[in-house]
Amino acid sequence: AYNPTMAGNIKDKEAFQRLNFLYQAAHCVLAQNPENVELARFYCYTQRTISKRLVLRQDPSVKRTMCKKCYSLLVPGVTATVRQRKSRKRECRTLVRCLSCGQTRRFLNDPEHHLWVDQPEAQLENQTQTEQGPS
Amino acid sequence: MERQLNSRLYEDQSKLLGVQSQDGRQAEAFTKAFLKNSLPSLSQESIRQFMDRKAVVLEFAKKKKEKQKRKRAKGLNAKQRREMKVFQLKEEHQRYELFLPLHELWKQYIRDLCNGLKSGSNPQIIQQKLLKADFHGAIITVVRSKCPSYVGTTGILVQEMKHVFKIITKENKLKVIPKRNSVFGVEIDGFVTHIYGSKFQLRSSERSAKKFKVKGTIDL
Repeated sequence: AYNPTMAGNIKDKEAFQRLNFLYQAAHCVLAQNPENVELARFYCYTQRTISKRLVLRQDPSVKRTMCKKCYSLLVPGVTATVRQRKSRKRECRTLVRCLSCGQTRRFLNDPEHHLWVDQPEAQLENQTQTEQGPS
Repeated sequence: MERQLNSRLYEDQSKLLGVQSQDGRQAEAFTKAFLKNSLPSLSQESIRQFMDRKAVVLEFAKKKKEKQKRKRAKGLNAKQRREMKVFQLKEEHQRYELFLPLHELWKQYIRDLCNGLKSGSNPQIIQQKLLKADFHGAIITVVRSKCPSYVGTTGILVQEMKHVFKIITKENKLKVIPKRNSVFGVEIDGFVTHIYGSKFQLRSSERSAKKFKVKGTIDL
């Protein structure tokens, strides 16, 4: 789920592996006991601090499953509620609410909108191709 | 109606009200200026046209909306964190068998990290990698310690704090073992490493960024 590491980019591979492990560990803990939020939160917190320290970018899909306020892992139905709601401008929004601290995040659901990471140009392979092409 | 408005006030009235009426041209200039002031969005010409047909609400000048400053910092501060007990484990969750899958996951992670632990692989490289690896979920044993009662405790490492390892033992007990002055043994697929806790006194997230230097010896 992380940024694709190129063949030449092995620099922070171990750190990425570690992030991956921590994320999985948090899921694993929650799967074993859905009430053990604290431990999952601890793992998410370490994951976040590692990525902050080493300046590693994480995929939005990962970041969106962590609460910004209390760092708990947001699993819909277990530690978070996910609702579709119409906002004032009549746009439909996804509301994700953390159950332990009450922090909400809103995401606009617009079928036309794609995150930069999901766009084909963002992939590293495509980028190098376009750069090499004209030169 | 209009005539009444345009007409001058009688002398006794003006005395009573304390207002002096101005003569025609001055009054006109005043009204124009007033209207222009209170209807800033219209031009002079359109104001006149407007006045011919419509009643005017004079308090029209739009007040600029002050933008509300957005609240920054969504996170919790230290006090709130302490109150919420963000990272404190509850007692009912402390069961050994709940953490076995975590251990399996960890084993898989270490194998992945070291490209499979075979007898031929270089132990130094593996130890280099383990230095920056994550130990949550590992089964660790206290091999040596200054305090003899810690020696021999085995369990799955659940939380790694700055100065302390939190371990779940097989008897479903959470044990807190200080890193200082003790040596921990970690076993993966027959490969045993020793962690010198005195050198490991860091938060686990900081360890991944830190450079370890050769400094002094550890006698235990």
